[in-house]
Amino acid sequence: MQKGKAIVVSDITKKFGPIAAVDHVDFEVDEGEFFGFLGPNGAGKTTLIRMLTTLLRPTSGKAIVSGCDVTEEPAEVRKRIGVVPQAMTSDLDLTGHENMDLYGRFYGIRGRERKERIRYLLEMVGLTQRANDLVATYSGGMRRRLEIARVLVHRPPLLFLDEPTIGLDPQSRRVVWDFLKKLIEGDSMTIFLTTHYMEEAELLCGRVGIIDAGKIIALGSPSALKADIPGNDIVSLKVGNLSPELVRSIGELPFVHKAIAEENSLRVYVDNGSKNLPVLIDDVRQAGGTILSASVHEQSLEDVFIHHTGKTIREEEVKKVSFLLGAGVPQRFGR
Amino acid sequence: MAVIERDLIKFKRNPIVIAMSILMPVLYLVILGNSFQGKLTDLPVAVVNQDTGPYAKRVMENLRAIQAGPKTFKITNLSSEGEAVNGVKEGRFKAAFIIPGDFSKKMSLQARPEVGLFLDNPDSISAETIRNLLNAAMLSIRSGYVPIRDKAGEVLLRDINLYPKVDYYQSLVPGVIIMAIFLGTLTSGVFNLVMDRFLGIEESYLLTPLSKAHIVSGLVISGLSITTVIAAIITVTSMLLTGIPLTRGWERFFPFFAVVVLTTLCLLSLMFVILGRARHPRIVGILSGFLNVILFFPSGAIYPVESFPGWLKAFAKCNPEVYSVHALKSILFKNAGMASISGDILFLSLFTIVLMTIAILTFKRTL
Repeated sequence: MQKGKAIVVSDITKKFGPIAAVDHVDFEVDEGEFFGFLGPNGAGKTTLIRMLTTLLRPTSGKAIVSGCDVTEEPAEVRKRIGVVPQAMTSDLDLTGHENMDLYGRFYGIRGRERKERIRYLLEMVGLTQRANDLVATYSGGMRRRLEIARVLVHRPPLLFLDEPTIGLDPQSRRVVWDFLKKLIEGDSMTIFLTTHYMEEAELLCGRVGIIDAGKIIALGSPSALKADIPGNDIVSLKVGNLSPELVRSIGELPFVHKAIAEENSLRVYVDNGSKNLPVLIDDVRQAGGTILSASVHEQSLEDVFIHHTGKTIREEEVKKVSFLLGAGVPQRFGR
Repeated sequence: MAVIERDLIKFKRNPIVIAMSILMPVLYLVILGNSFQGKLTDLPVAVVNQDTGPYAKRVMENLRAIQAGPKTFKITNLSSEGEAVNGVKEGRFKAAFIIPGDFSKKMSLQARPEVGLFLDNPDSISAETIRNLLNAAMLSIRSGYVPIRDKAGEVLLRDINLYPKVDYYQSLVPGVIIMAIFLGTLTSGVFNLVMDRFLGIEESYLLTPLSKAHIVSGLVISGLSITTVIAAIITVTSMLLTGIPLTRGWERFFPFFAVVVLTTLCLLSLMFVILGRARHPRIVGILSGFLNVILFFPSGAIYPVESFPGWLKAFAKCNPEVYSVHALKSILFKNAGMASISGDILFLSLFTIVLMTIAILTFKRTL
């Protein structure tokens, strides 16, 4: 067993026909880490998570999850992980409590312990009052909270979440985030999350990998990733008496990458905008300018994401459908 | 107009539904056309000839001529009357025909000799056919040796029904039970798996430590529970409606229960093998009609298997519903015990074991 590592992925590839959905990917996740994968639709996030959770066999490469090889010991891997898939998978014909109870029995958790654990988890996700209602009567947010609670019944040390807040309203999204933060802080779990919500990754993840076209193109903490792309903070200044000399002198400052004058305002591309704003204001005044207003737009993970993945919408792989049974029948969901 | 167009476009995009809509009536015609009112052939008949005289020889020649010509029955010569009658009771023969030792002597004396015919009467169509043919065979020896006007030489065919009379509605009860089992197995077991796949729920339990065998056997056992209850309700209701006595005793209940359970397991396993990888309930819909036609109508529930053409007879040999119908008829109408249906039980058990193994092996534990 690789001590201290919750996930070790070496050169893993998954091909569907000639197309590599995941292409020679390597990464590691430490125990207790909150790790996120960011990527546009069709980047290979779901395929990767499905390989790590034994639902898809890799075409090549190796993945060790919770100390077990996903290809050689899939049953062992499944015992040690909890997975919240992208699609809602709770059974609509059962109540919330029944969903949890049956899931606990799949893991062989005995009566009293199971009962206590379910009571605790339902309380944690705020579903105690609705526990005996059919899941069919739940909202999307309630269903998602139930599904997160459900995969925690057997106390997995490693939790996989595939776009857990997709389609949720801002309130429900925040409830899920708060709950996940509690898990990582209180229960020392390792969490592996895929998302395409930048704020989600920025708020929750200690480290983020950016995946595009099946390859990891950037990996690090959100702050490190942002620091890797200099000059993307923008300071906007409204200056009373803007002159070409003033613009030139600002452009020569060491932390300034570019200064662009637009009528009576100045856009300055700088490193570390918040820190350097007072210096910039002083310099403008010294150069004879009058500051009317100032604002800083610090670069976000989204800027990093766009920097790495570009602005073009991905040419997504065409979903396979069964033309025999009807064109509306997808063969696979959420690849 | 837009609604009509939308519906027509969707229909056009379902080629398999279009193909089945055209092929199914043809298939129904072929299967149903060959399952009813066909000419009975190769009915197994035990013959005990205790007479060495010339008239008995003539009778035997007539029987062999029927065996060689229209092939309605297949003769097995036996020496003991008891063995022949037991053979009928055990289901090996449809009838036992006994020519007594004094047959030729009585014929010569024009003393109206008697021959015995023990019939498996719950299969009324076969019994009637055998009775009519043997009557004709007896008439022909009389016409050959005795002037037609001489009534004294007439042979008396004494036919004995081995079991209480079974009317038409009662004879349908085993088929009704099998149909209930078929429908039960179609709407439980693997169907729930297909629905889970369709609704995306399957992924949640594929992610748990449940093994292939756990998932398949769990679904089969739940299907078995549901179907057994359905079969029990249908059995009691149809027996009450048609007047079949319910008081058969516990020694008959066990074989009956065994046949219901094994038939259910057999069909659940078969469904699992066929639909184990289906991802859409539409496939179940398409196949259910097809399976019902090819399994039920050629099962002998309505018309005897002996009336089928060769290819359908060959198929019947591996159709589990044939064995189930035979076993249920034996239990309900002949008060048969476990020994009489052991062949059916063996086939159903083997079929279940083989198909269940295939179902588990072919079940895909990944997406």
